[in-house]
Parts: sequence; structure tokens; C-alpha cells
Amino acid sequence: MTMEQEIEVLDQFPVGMRVLAVDDDQTCLRILQTLLHRCQYHVTTTNQAQTALELLRENKNKFDLVISDVDMPDMDGFKLLELVGLEMDLPVIMLSAHSDPKYVMKGVKHGACDYLLKPVRIEELKNIWQHVVRKSKLKKNKSSVSNGAANSDKANRKRKEQYEEEEEEERGNENDDPTAQKKPRVLWTHELHNKFLAAVDHLGVEKAVPKKILDLMNVDKLTRENVASHLQKFRVALKKMSDEANQQATRAAIESQLMQMSSHKGLGGFYHHRGIPVGSGQFHGGATMMRHYPSNRNLGRLNSFAGEMFQPVSSSFPRNHNNGGNTLQGLPLPQLEELQINNNINKAFPSFTSQQNSIMVAPNNLLLLEGHPQSSSPGFSPHFEMNKRQEHWSNTVLSTNIPQSDVHSKPDNLEWNAFCDSASPLINQNLDTNTTSFCRNTDFRSTNAAQTDFFYPLQMNQQPTNNSGPMTEAQLFRSSNPNEGLLMGQQKLQSGFMASDAGSLDDIVNSLMTQEQSQSEFSEGDWDLDGLAHSEHAYEKPYFPFSLSA
Amino acid sequence: MDALIAQLQRQFRDYTISLYQQGFLDDQFTELKKLQDDGSPDFVAEVLTLFFEDCVKLISNMARALDKTTGTVDFSQVGASVHQLKGSSSSVGAKRVKALCVSFKEYCEAKNYEGCVRCLQQVDIEYKALKTKLQDMFNLEKQIIQAGGRVPQVDIN
Repeated sequence: MTMEQEIEVLDQFPVGMRVLAVDDDQTCLRILQTLLHRCQYHVTTTNQAQTALELLRENKNKFDLVISDVDMPDMDGFKLLELVGLEMDLPVIMLSAHSDPKYVMKGVKHGACDYLLKPVRIEELKNIWQHVVRKSKLKKNKSSVSNGAANSDKANRKRKEQYEEEEEEERGNENDDPTAQKKPRVLWTHELHNKFLAAVDHLGVEKAVPKKILDLMNVDKLTRENVASHLQKFRVALKKMSDEANQQATRAAIESQLMQMSSHKGLGGFYHHRGIPVGSGQFHGGATMMRHYPSNRNLGRLNSFAGEMFQPVSSSFPRNHNNGGNTLQGLPLPQLEELQINNNINKAFPSFTSQQNSIMVAPNNLLLLEGHPQSSSPGFSPHFEMNKRQEHWSNTVLSTNIPQSDVHSKPDNLEWNAFCDSASPLINQNLDTNTTSFCRNTDFRSTNAAQTDFFYPLQMNQQPTNNSGPMTEAQLFRSSNPNEGLLMGQQKLQSGFMASDAGSLDDIVNSLMTQEQSQSEFSEGDWDLDGLAHSEHAYEKPYFPFSLSA
Repeated sequence: MDALIAQLQRQFRDYTISLYQQGFLDDQFTELKKLQDDGSPDFVAEVLTLFFEDCVKLISNMARALDKTTGTVDFSQVGASVHQLKGSSSSVGAKRVKALCVSFKEYCEAKNYEGCVRCLQQVDIEYKALKTKLQDMFNLEKQIIQAGGRVPQVDIN
């Protein structure tokens, strides 16, 4: 996220902080819900711990904080607390009528951020947002602390030795069939991958050693081997893209420069000016450009992913730059390079090796595993399989769009082509649009959600369902499959090598964005309880009006 | 009409204060009233409905758990229900009910069967009494509104 965008979101916080409230006592739950609404948080309630877990597992980025009662029939509140801490690492506040210190101690031991006594007062709830901030700050500090230590010379030398040692090990691995996966597989979720990226970013791609990455990531049960194989794939993909970019850039550069620099130093000067090898220079430049726009992080990922996915099969597809839909087919970067060369070759793109890392390869197994566990060769999945997925995705999205499919205010190919042609500036536009409407939703989203920035339209459609009108079936469907829709969507982009598909995807994106916007307009400032009672209907038992007659 | 409204409002005020003074309601009830606003005009009524439902459910749980004919009495079961009732009664400001739950709990922990049965009976009486009182209060509110007046904020000093 850029500074401006981050500030924008922080300005809203803690308004719209997303809380999940769990209590089997319906009276208390109702009161808690109202109190939380008064604090201007976004509230989801459930009277079952099991349901709460499911909600959290469904999308851990959906909530910022959990408040849970201790005594619940279906699951001990402490157990829930433990599980949430382990799996989702969200702050959990315990709630109880037990004032006995031993319960408080138990809560603390199980990792509760706070322990509130019933009856809860609104003053106490007004400050619970501090736990969210504290937790995210802790996470940031952890990685920067370990990074600081790594910068000393001694550590560098040691690392180098380690690196060489591990490099050999990895080279051994590379001899194996790269598509073969070791068992058991690690599911590289968005969150996990983000941590990986952050770690590699800190270390620098040249010096990123699995052991160091593992330390920075600080994830339980993740082994050095997991990180090593992940890193290996990443490096392979980077190299491929770099090579690709090399060829493309060289060709294009020569052409354009010959035209532009007639009076200048000429070809020699051009090459000299560029300094770094063309491919990587451009690549870095591309990386730099992308770095400025948060969404481009994902663009980069998508591109890289596409690159990795399609390098082996890309030869079968015509490199037709005029075909907008072709851009994401698997050769996004070369086109990007080309345009940047054409536009602005003289801008010295600093070679940020670290920035190169921000173009991360989303490992194939990430998307494939989550979307389709049956896929066995993540690195080189067959072309036809991608098609199936994208069809499924577009069907999914289209079906959920039926209620509002007539909203198509934007020109047809604007976003798609804009995205294809020169990703950075226009992606930023998209993001801005999304961000403003997002903010209007008065929802606080953690920066981890930046993972899927480009697909804000998809993910954000799930947000309004919590605070707008009655949940339609379509909305329920969407909110119950956020990841699948998103992941499919990402895949769809990459496999959008068919011109015809580009159009349909664009329609979908358009309608989703406008749909989302119209939804957020509706829900803007819609804090009244009735609306909420409807949307939370799925989790609350219906109440009977207090009968005034004896 | 104004005189009628004024009279009703006075009645309402007096009645509400008496409920506090007699220990039926406490500060938490005041807090609940504060949460009620134009956006949620029936909030208090809704919450109290839920509470009385809970009472019925929990009391029958306790009765079942204290039923000797089914075998040995499970005091922890009783205790769990009492604990929950304590939580919800404290949340709505049902002061007397909550106080009863405290002693009820002690009897459960002591596994004092007679004590528990007595408490159960008292809880039953108590929540019904509260329900009646609150119904009367809501009726007064209704009358005020029907007469065209506004329900006054009652300041419990």
C-alpha cells in the first residue's frame, strides 16, 4: 500500500474494525453486538464456537479481532482461543461471568489478549482495538529485529558459507523432476507466501537463504526444506523471466532507440547508458515501477506466476502484442519492458535487487493447491486444465452477478486493455477507485489483504454482505467461497490468452466493480440494527418481540 | 391532553425509580436504556425478551438436573446453568435474579441439594416478578406515546 492509502485506512481505524463475537447466551450476544456497533465496529455474531472457527478458517483476513465467551457448550472458550491463536494468529478477547483470577490466568496462558468480565461496559469495548494494533506491530518488529542482526559482517560471512553449502544442496534438488512434490505438502497460503516475500525482500534475493528466510518468517511447523523448495521455484521463475525480458527488451530497445537517438551517442551510447544487462535492468525497472503501486505487487505476482506457468507452453501461443488478451497469457513482462523502453528509456531505473524480489513468483502450487487439490504438477499444469478453471470461475462469478448484471457503466475494454498495455499507472487507478469505495464501506482491512488488491472487486463484494441488506443466496455463495473465486480469478487472468476470454473477463470485472460500488453506496452509513439483524440472520436465532400483554 | 401526558410521565418516572429502589434493576439496565435510540427503538424490549426466554430454558435445565428420579443429581450441570443465568441477568441489570444466582451457585458447589431446590424455586418466582414489573413499565411507556408524549429519561441518583 502506498503511504497515502495506508494513511487513509488508518484514519478510519478503529471505525469499521471487524469483530467476530461468540457467545452461546443469546441475551449477552445481543447486547455485545449492540455495544460493538455503538463503537462503530463491524460485527459478526455466532452462538457456536464451531461456526466461529469455520468462519475464521474460511477467510482469516475477514476479521481483525475475536471476542469469545469462556463457557460454551459445544467447545471450551479456551480451546477456541488456542485454535484461533494457532491457526489465524488473531487477537482474542475472553469474556466471562467468572471473576475468579484463576480463569483470568487460564485465559492469559492460552494466549488471550484481554479478559473482560460480564456485564461488559461500552467503555471497555471502546479500547479493544489496541490489541489489533499491538499484534500487528509485534509481527512487524519480529521480522525487522531478526533482519537487523543479519546485517552485521560476521553474519554476512557466515551466511555466505551457509548459502554456498545450501546452494549445492539445492542444485542437487534441481536435478530431480521439478514437478515432483515432496510429501507432505506445505500449503503456501497467501499469508504464508507474504511472509516468504517479506523475508526474501529483507534479505535480498541474492542473499536469501532458506534458513534465514525460515527464521524471518517465524512460522511453526515450516521446515527449511519447505522454504528451500519454494525459494528454488521462485528463483527459477525469476531467471526465466529475466531471460525472456532480455531477449524481448534487446530487440525492442534496438528498434526504438535507433529511431529516437539519431543525434545522440547512438547504439553504443544506448547500451552504455543502460549499464546493467538489458534484461535484468528492464526487469528491475519494471519491478521499480511496480513497487510504487501496491496493486502491482500482485500484478507482478500474477505476471511472474504466469511466466512460470506458461514458459514451457508459451511457444505454442503467438506473441501478438496487439492482442490485448494475450498480454497476460504468459508474457506480460516482456511487453511491459517494451513499452517502458519506448516511453522512457532515459529514466535510469535503479537496479534494486531487493525490488526485484517484490515481483514474486506466486508458486503454482499455491493457487493450484488451494483451488484444485487434485492437480499434481503445479509447475507445468496442462493448458486445458486452466481453461476448465477459468470457465468455472467465470461461471461462478457470472451466476452470482445475475442479480445486478445489468450494471455496466464502464466502457468495455478500458480496464482490460489498460491493464495489458501499461500496467502500472492504470492499475493504480483501479486501485484508487477500489480503495475509495472500500473506505466508504467503513471497513477496516488489514494490509495483509493487499494480497489480492487487483481483485478487490471480487473480495469486496463479500464485505457489503455483512452490513447491507438481506443476504441473497448469491451473496452467501460468494462469501462462502471467497478464496476460490479470487484464486480462480487470478488464474483466469493468467490464462486469458484467448482474445475472446479477455472480453468476458473484462465484463465480469466491470460488473463486479460497479456492483460492489453500488452495494457499498447502499451500505454506506448503514449502521442500523435492523439491517444488521438481517445480515446476521444466518448466525442469530430469531427473537420474539417482548409481549406486552400478560 | 398535556395534563394526561404529564401525569403519565410522572407515573412512569416514579414507577421506574421504585424498581431500582426495590432492587429489581441496577445500573446495567440504565446502560441498556442508553443503547436504545432512534435507530433501535425496541432494543430494550428485544433484549429483555431474549432474557426471559433464557430464564425459561435455563430454569428447566436446572430442574431436570435436580430431578432425583433420573438418578444421581449432577451438580456441575446445575452449576453450569446457574452460571449462565448469572451472566445474562447481570447483563440486563436484573439485580435480584443475579443475586440469587450467586447464592445458588454456592449451594451447587457445596452440593447442597435442599439449598439448590430452594434457590431454584426462588429464581423462578423472581424472574416472573421482574417480568410483570417490566411489563407494567412498558405499558406506561406505550400509554405515554399513544397520548402523544415522549418517554422521559429517568435519572437514577
